[in-house]
Amino acid sequence: MSSGDKPKPDFSNVQSGASSTAPPPAAPKAAAPRTYTVLAGDNLSKIAKKFYGDANKWKKIFEANKDTIKNPDLIKVGQVLRVPE
Amino acid sequence: MKRTRLLVLGVACVAVPIALSACKRAETPPPAPPAVAPAPAPTPPPAAAPFRVSSVDVGNAIGADKRVTVPSATLAPGDTIYASVASTGAAPSVTLVARWTYGDGQLVNEQSTTIAPTGPAYSEFHIAKPDGWPAGTYKVEILADGTSVASKSFEVK
Repeated sequence: MSSGDKPKPDFSNVQSGASSTAPPPAAPKAAAPRTYTVLAGDNLSKIAKKFYGDANKWKKIFEANKDTIKNPDLIKVGQVLRVPE
Repeated sequence: MKRTRLLVLGVACVAVPIALSACKRAETPPPAPPAVAPAPAPTPPPAAAPFRVSSVDVGNAIGADKRVTVPSATLAPGDTIYASVASTGAAPSVTLVARWTYGDGQLVNEQSTTIAPTGPAYSEFHIAKPDGWPAGTYKVEILADGTSVASKSFEVK
């Protein structure tokens, strides 16, 4: 910098804000939780295989339905299970 | 007897046309129901005008309507500086950016807000500097979804 150059002002402490009379965009709607109704012969591993392609992910379904499934080996026909994404 | 025949004939002359006319009336098809005008095709709602920034004003105060109370091209070092952007039209989402620059283009501040206008609207941007604005020329440029749509220059002295 030559001696004739003026130092540039420092604007690092500038405070700013914005507002509008227009509304903000609507928040995207939450996707409805995916569910599955248990059929005869189903078990959590089979359902996991169906949705995730991996039977070992049965725990994911179990965890999402702990309020209704006490024993992961015992699910009932007609029972509606939440299937997390 | 002759009088009676005449009487019967007379009654017949009167009665037969009435009966015939009654029969004719009965044969007449019932009057057509009044024509019902076809329901007019529902007119589609007018298409909302596209979003457009119409103007930007700068000043040191705004009202509740987000409009600059007194537009000014000259401001004081201690002012909070407001830019009020007037827009029309609707958009599901549009991001407005106010880019404030000083002198030959030194960036002072950039602030954005995202709105979903349904008609005329005012959006305000403001900047403040606790230790005061350096004297000189400034510019605020308004961008809508990345496109420059308006600008206003002003001076601090």
